[in-house]
Amino acid sequence: MKIDTKRGVLKQLLWPWNPDSNLDAGKAIVKNFLLHWFPNRVTLKSLAFGYSMYLGTITFTLFLILTATGVILMFHYTPSIERAYWSIKDIEFAVSFGWFLRRVHRLAAHLMVAMVFLHMLRVFYTSAYKDGKMADSRRSWNWVMGVGMLVLTLLLSFTGYLLPWDQLAFWAITVGTSIAGSVPLVGGAIREFMLGGTIISQNALIRFYVLHVFFLPAVLFGLAFWHMWRIRKDGGLAIVEQVRDEAKEQPPELPARTKTYSILGIAKGVTAQVMDPTVLSEDNSRPASPHLTMRLLNIVLATVLVTVVLSILISAPLEAPANPEVTPNPAKAPWYFLGLQEMVGYSAFVGGVLIPFLVVFGLAVIPFMDHEQKHLGIWLTDESGKKWAGIGLLWGTAFSALSVFLGVSFPAREIFSGIESQLFFEIVNPAILLLLSFVALHFWTLIVTKSQRTAAIATFSAFVISFILLTYVGTALRGPNWMFYWPWEAWPGHAIPY
Amino acid sequence: MDDSRRSFLTRATQGLLGFGFLAGIWPYLRSLFPNVLYEPPLRFKVGAPAQYAEGVTFLDDRRVYIFREGNAFHCVSGVCSHLGCTVKYSPFRQVKELTVRDLSYSSKGEFHCPCHGSKFYDEGTNYAGPAPGPLKWHNLEISPEDGQLMVNMRKDVNRDFRLVV
Repeated sequence: MKIDTKRGVLKQLLWPWNPDSNLDAGKAIVKNFLLHWFPNRVTLKSLAFGYSMYLGTITFTLFLILTATGVILMFHYTPSIERAYWSIKDIEFAVSFGWFLRRVHRLAAHLMVAMVFLHMLRVFYTSAYKDGKMADSRRSWNWVMGVGMLVLTLLLSFTGYLLPWDQLAFWAITVGTSIAGSVPLVGGAIREFMLGGTIISQNALIRFYVLHVFFLPAVLFGLAFWHMWRIRKDGGLAIVEQVRDEAKEQPPELPARTKTYSILGIAKGVTAQVMDPTVLSEDNSRPASPHLTMRLLNIVLATVLVTVVLSILISAPLEAPANPEVTPNPAKAPWYFLGLQEMVGYSAFVGGVLIPFLVVFGLAVIPFMDHEQKHLGIWLTDESGKKWAGIGLLWGTAFSALSVFLGVSFPAREIFSGIESQLFFEIVNPAILLLLSFVALHFWTLIVTKSQRTAAIATFSAFVISFILLTYVGTALRGPNWMFYWPWEAWPGHAIPY
Repeated sequence: MDDSRRSFLTRATQGLLGFGFLAGIWPYLRSLFPNVLYEPPLRFKVGAPAQYAEGVTFLDDRRVYIFREGNAFHCVSGVCSHLGCTVKYSPFRQVKELTVRDLSYSSKGEFHCPCHGSKFYDEGTNYAGPAPGPLKWHNLEISPEDGQLMVNMRKDVNRDFRLVV
């Protein structure tokens, strides 16, 4: 009797992983709170790993890992400039498994930035930002929301970067907030609002802390749930449009003549509902429970496993306590900002303000520039798309290399040493060259192929490869005084007197 | 007439709601702009002039360079005009005769920034790297109370400024 009650409770909380019938499978979705946002059936093409690679699921899992480890770390961390560094030291050396929680938190944060980026690549290359023909589909707005979440993820990571209050943290935030300060006219006010003062001190630490542990995660959680709910409202992943088109080509098997009812009474033919080719069949779909739930479980477990194993292998660095009097050489931002820092090395306004703004704005307007509603869910759209993606990659590689080469070998200020106008150097620098090369590529592709989608593929590919290459240059090839060093060249050690 | 009254009332309600929202959110926002800053003062004493050796002295806690040439003193900011890193003074092996922005003088060193490689002449003018402008020159004065040197970061001065003691 007792056991039966327990089973009853468990049955209400869980769901059958191995349902006996489609009815059982469907009931699980309808009755269980945790599953209520899944569809009843999922198409095989949506389930295929090679299509979505489950990058969104991986990203959200990392976010959950970050929340869990972050809340525990909050019990140990003190957001005060006297105590912050030493509480991190305690987490590393005095708290049981503190080192582990900190490593998992840091690693999951880096992985999350990378996964958000990869998720964006997947969605772009499979045209999944397009509305398609589904009723009420607004995938374009889900893409915009995604761009917003990319920015939020970067802000979360950036605010977390200051909290250890070590040299790395202090100077990365010095550079980062000064970039905001280089906005014309209002820059100084923005920087002071971010810092809550004119220098990086207690006010700045507590602001970054509150943003990091409450404000930004709360907004990101809200957007993430909205994002996932929208996928349902949009009729599922973009590949479903393809399934729908295929189903349309085959005339539905109809009973030869049936009585169906229209509003006016008995009519000949079939009702719209029977004709609807989006109706999923046994051939092209499976019940969400257990086929989707099982896959999600595997993805979640794999994500946790990889994060934990990597955390055991890779330690979280902690440098000397923050010292506003000594700038480390070189002073570098987090790795995903080093592509920007490379351009900030050419001009603070162009690299730190203009280009990030144009990138975020450019990404957000992609669905509104490219209205071509064909081949949704197909990687790279068609043969022309593949070809121009390749051209974009080569173009981006060539111009990134050219920009770095010009920046290293022909510093504008030394060539035009007679010119004092700052505006001149904001215009004549490699970052602007790179920007113009993207604009040129976009219009060239548009003129040759007359397709907005192909132009978007070429430009996006060029942007992606430039981002990766510039990040590599900023991370690996820039040494003391931001000088250029090949990977096989040793950095000068203590020979430099500063 | 009915229509215009209705649209007027709709707009008035919307306007009132908007105003109420702004009024409601104002205390939240305004509280985030501090009225009092517990930061080091911008005008401060840096010791007696006599204790400074001939040449360049870096005051690391305030990030300023004090230059002494005989009786003449001046103060150059150590904060890079690009993104606020601390520039390092790098002395030359021998004195160089320079002409920078129509000013001819003999230079004993220059400033280098570790963050993005900007370089400055020792009179402050940027000549390489992304720095958008020269290093600041802060006003120097003698404290009337005890004769110590005083740096005033609120007051910037030109390159020809010298405090003769």
